[in-house]
Order: sequence, then structure tokens, then C-alpha cells
Amino acid sequence: MRFRLDPACLAIVALLGATCVIARAAAEAPTAQEIVMATDRVRNPGEPFRLTVTLTEYVAGSERNHDRLVVFSKEDPGTRQFRNLIQYVEPPRDAGKKVLLDGHSLWFFDPASKISIRISPQQRLLGQAAIGDVLTVNLAADYAPTVSGTETIKDAARTDRNCWHLDLRAANDQAVYNRIEYWIEQRSFYPIKGKFYSDSGRLLKILYYRGFAEQLGAVRPTEAVIIDAVDTSLATTAAFGDYRFQEIPDAWFQRDYLPRLQIQ
Amino acid sequence: MNGRRRRRFPYAALVGGLLSATASIAAEEPPASQQNQDLELIPPAAQQSSMPTAGHGKTAAGPQRLYVEDAVTVSSQRDDLVVAAPLPPNFNWQERLFVDARRQWDIDESSHLFYSDRLNLRAENDISAPDHENAINDLREAYISFEPLIRTYFDLGRINLKSGVALGYNPTDYFKARAVVEPLSADPTVLREDRLGTVMLRAERIWQGGSVTAAIAPALHAASPIYTNLDLPSFDPMLDRTNAQSRMLLKGSVNIAPDFSPELLIVRDGNVTKLGANLTEVVGQRVVAYAEWSSSRQTSLIDDAWRFGRQTGTLPESAPRPLSDDGHESFVNELAVGASYTLGTSVTLNLEWHWNAAGFSSSDWNQWFAVGRGRSARDPVTLELWFIRDYALDQQELIGRHAIFFRADWVDVFVPKLELAGLVDVDPRDGSALLQFSADYYVADKWTVGGLIIAYAGGRLSDFGSLPQQGSALVKVIRYF
Repeated sequence: MRFRLDPACLAIVALLGATCVIARAAAEAPTAQEIVMATDRVRNPGEPFRLTVTLTEYVAGSERNHDRLVVFSKEDPGTRQFRNLIQYVEPPRDAGKKVLLDGHSLWFFDPASKISIRISPQQRLLGQAAIGDVLTVNLAADYAPTVSGTETIKDAARTDRNCWHLDLRAANDQAVYNRIEYWIEQRSFYPIKGKFYSDSGRLLKILYYRGFAEQLGAVRPTEAVIIDAVDTSLATTAAFGDYRFQEIPDAWFQRDYLPRLQIQ
Repeated sequence: MNGRRRRRFPYAALVGGLLSATASIAAEEPPASQQNQDLELIPPAAQQSSMPTAGHGKTAAGPQRLYVEDAVTVSSQRDDLVVAAPLPPNFNWQERLFVDARRQWDIDESSHLFYSDRLNLRAENDISAPDHENAINDLREAYISFEPLIRTYFDLGRINLKSGVALGYNPTDYFKARAVVEPLSADPTVLREDRLGTVMLRAERIWQGGSVTAAIAPALHAASPIYTNLDLPSFDPMLDRTNAQSRMLLKGSVNIAPDFSPELLIVRDGNVTKLGANLTEVVGQRVVAYAEWSSSRQTSLIDDAWRFGRQTGTLPESAPRPLSDDGHESFVNELAVGASYTLGTSVTLNLEWHWNAAGFSSSDWNQWFAVGRGRSARDPVTLELWFIRDYALDQQELIGRHAIFFRADWVDVFVPKLELAGLVDVDPRDGSALLQFSADYYVADKWTVGGLIIAYAGGRLSDFGSLPQQGSALVKVIRYF
């Protein structure tokens, strides 16, 4: 007896098969929120920590200015957002300046004037190497992400990376940028690239992560290249080093503690 | 023929639909090549990753700062004053060389020494050289700090204790009087830097959700007359300026709500008790609103000046009182209300309204001009009239009742690292104004060049237009170490 396969049956089998594959893939594929949370974990240790950020500014291709800052970061379990304390170490004219960034509580302390001035969220973006670029942030806490698709793009070392391309829209008024395009490598969840937009939709900055290395128990990016998209002759590299887990009491995150903050 | 017409399964449509969906997904993918073009924007010098090595990013301890600054100022004077200016006139040119140091030494993890000092070497057209006036040392701070308990601090020595949230005028800055020394700029943000601390014992406790500070500053020296440009001591801590009367301060702040922690202050200054408050609130993404208030029972600025002049011997006991005032005490409120606004990613604007109930009223101003008009510069009445204004400046108080203050700061203007700042301090009674425009260019990590222009604008019978100075211009170069 010869078994004959009807074309209609074939199509049905194919359809069922395809549906199963798609359904299974859909079941396994992480959601946009899960992707962003996973890449947050790549960038940020789960315990309170400090690190040193060395910023090198380039103007028209030439190395120009250097900043060095120590950043103390601790996740707020209520909001899942990071609270940050920043102290400038270099250049000499800025040494000792400190910034508190904790939700809407944003303060700037200058040891020369010995006074703390409250700053607006927008002031995090002032200047070429802005405070907003060295903050420890959980993107998942402040942005509503959607997956735009998948792409193979080249990373900063010009190596192909298979990425999810995500579109992140500010979900609350603590988000530093209004919109971010983000490329995250599939499987590893390494952040590869970001594009940051203003409220008006203007592209402000392009960022590439690189130098992935073991830091505080996980592989994390140890450097970022930040390109000023408004004036493309300007670029900044941010090197993240001297990572340390550190106990950071909640009492540190207030204006009056800023003058007392000591880098040991 | 099979007369039964077979119903055809629309697999062609299904396959077509799947293909269409696939094509649709492919079309939604942005062209990766377009994204890769962004890599061309990375400067060649920054192409290579500087992978962290041992010791990478290690930090030096302490907010140390040492710099040498050279500044040359030229100024112009008015010669058509309604009230003749006291002699000698202000300098026409001045050359100043600073060695400015701020250091911290850690005795151990909980004990630190702080030191802040500025050595001035100066030459002016009205100072003959060599003279002790060529070298002046300002010991701003020198104190020891202990932390015997976690976040409980005791500080002892000369300390710059500052309070206030406003930019142009700080009613709650209770240690500001007489502390500003020879400033180069009229910018309040700079005036805060060029000032002497007060010898005090300060205790501070910080806990989660608040802090409290207590300070006791004893009287260590008799009050001295107001210094002029020509009689500054060379190497003297000038405690007569900062510790001429005993003061006690208690201030605290509590986080009442997330992001809202008002600060309340109470001060005993000599025989006067003052209450103060500081409030700030973020409004949206770009605005910070703030208010600063102080109240005390005291006499007017005119009476205060007259009493201080007699106390220090500047005004003789028999000095006339050219401006009538009843001398009675009343509750005097001082207020600074304002907001900052951030424009784009490079400009910050501040607008404030200042109020000092003890300052000159319109009738006081009219009287000041009427009494002084036509008198010589050496007339005792003229001297007394100008003494009142010098007193207000020395005390860092508003001389008028109202002021409107506007400041704009613009970073990375036209070229990276060029910062411009402009301020206008207006007396709304007569429309006169102090204007300052400054530019600082951060040439390199350790070099800054800059300049500023100050102008006092207004009619002859106005607050700023009646001052002997018409304006000044300054250029400077700073080398940090």
C-alpha cells in the first residue's frame, strides 16, 4: 500500500510545525524588559560599590582634557534605581567637588565656596563629559523598552555582534534622556551601543561599550566611548576602574553629608 | 470526471503570508551598515581600548588644590558724583599674584586636618613699593576634625561655615559679615570663596533622613574699623573681622518627604536672636525653585552702621546723624526667592528677588543724596554717609530694600571649555545695576585664562550710579599644580 501525502495535509503539517517553532521561540525569547534588566546586571554589580571613572576628552581628534571621578553607587530596593555620590579627583581645579544624585535630590558641593547648590535633573547633562554619563543607572527602572528587531552590528573593536535593537522611552521624570536606542548582544546581554536623544528628539550622544573584563564577579564593560552627536568633533572615553564592593550607609545620600564624604 | 469539485486548501495564501511576514520583518530591521558608520566618529586616538591594568584608576585621597594666579585689573572712576567720594580714590590699576592652597591631611581614618590659605602679592598705583601692603596673607581655614562616633563630627579651629540656598544674597549665611577679603569679582559665587572662616567649635550629627549642626564662635578680639584697600594687615588672621562678637548657631534639616528637606536655623549673634529657613524644590526637569528667609528683632541698617562706627572709633561720639532714623528695634525680615532654569545642555539661568527690610527706603535714599549734595569729600557728614554704604558692603548686606538678581552661566560656548557668565544686580527703585561679564577658558587640565568686565550703571542719583567706581576690567591666568 502506498502512502500518498495530500498537499493540503502537507501544508497543515507545515503550518503546525511553524506555529510550534514560533510559539516555542516566543516562549523562550526574553521580553524587552527582561533584556534591559539583564544588561543592567552586566553593567552594574548587585551590591553597593565604588569605582573610579577616568574621562578623556577629545577635540577634533586630539586628546584635550582629563577628569577623574570616584563614584559611589547603591541600589534603592524600593525604586530599583541607583543612588550615586560622585567626587571629582581631577583636574586640579575641580578636585574635591562632589555631586549627590538620588532621585530628585540632586546637589552639587564645591569645596572652594563650601556651599551645596541644588541642581535640576537637566543639569546632569551639562558639558561635554556630563555627570549623566558617569552615573550608575538601571535603565529598566526609568525606561519603557520595546524590541525593534535584531541586527548584526560592529562593536567598538569592529567585531560583529548579534544584537537586539531596543527602543527605550523615558517612563518617569528621573530618566536622564528622553529616548535611548540600545543595542544589546544576544545571549551575553552585553551592552554594545547606545544612542541618546533629547526631549525634542535630537540625537545628543552615541555611546559604544568596550573592554569587557571580569570586574566584581562578572564580565562588565570597562570602557565607553561617548561621541557628541551635536558636534561630532567632540568625543570622550570613560574608563571604569578600581571597582570595589563597599558598604555605603543610606545616611550618605543627603546634602549635609557631601562635605563629609572622604575618599579613603 | 469527478463531478465533485474539491475544495482547495489555501496553502498558497498561507505560504505567501509567511513569506510576506518574513519579508516584513526583514524590512523592519534597520540597515546595520548605517549603524556601523557611527564608528567613523570615534577619533583615531581613541580607537584602542585602554584596558584596565593593576592600579588603573587608583585615586589620590583628599580634595587638595594648589594654584598660582596672576590678575591685572584696571578701573575707572567717576568724577561727577552727587555726593563726593571719600579720599583717597580707588586704584586705577592693580597687579595681584596669588598662591592659593587648600590641603587636607588625614591623621587617621576619623581625624583630619584642613587648611585653606591665600597669599597675595600685590602692586597698585596707590601703594608704594616696597611696603607691607604688597604682601597679604588670608588664612581662610585651619581646623581639626574628629569623628568619635559614626557620622558624629567635632571640628575645632577657623572654619568657613556657610548656609543658604540662594545665589545672589544669603540672609541665612550668619557668618558672612566682614569675612570677604579683597575680592576680584562681584560674582557672589566667587565672593564665597574669598572669605575668612570664623574660629569656632562645631558639632554635627548626620543620620538617615536628617542632620543637626551646632556651632559656638567666641568673641576673641575687639571689633575693628572697616578696612580699606590701603590698611590691610599683612600676616594677621584678622580675628577682629570674624570673631569680634560671640555667636551660637543651631541648624537642622529633616527629610519631611522624598526630596524635600527644609533647613531651619536659630542664631544668637551678640544680643540678637535670628531665625532662618531654607527651602528648595525641583520643578520638572529644568527648574529648581528656592527660598531663603531670616528674621530678627533689630534696628535699621543706618542705625547699625552708626552704632558700629562709634563702637570702632570710626565715627566720633559727637558725630552728627545726617540720616534721621528713630533707632527703635523691630522685626526685620530678609528674603531671597528665586529659581534656576537649565536651558538645553549648556546654559543655566538664575533669577532671584531679594528683600532686606532693614535696608534703605526710598526716603532714606532721597535723604542720602540731599544731605550729601555739595559737600566736600572731607566733610564729616560726607564721610559718615559713605561709611553707611561701606558698612553695608562690609557686612555683605543689601543696602536697598529690594534687588533683582539675574545670572547666566554658559559652558562650552562656541568652543569646548570656554565658559561665559554674566550677572546683573538691579536696584528696582531706580533701575541702576551692577553688571558683570566674565569668560574663563580652560586651556588645559592645569591652565585657565580668563577675564571679566564690571560696570556700575545708573543715573547720578541712583544706587549704583552714585558709586565712585565706574567699572573695571581684569585679565588673569591660573596655573594649577
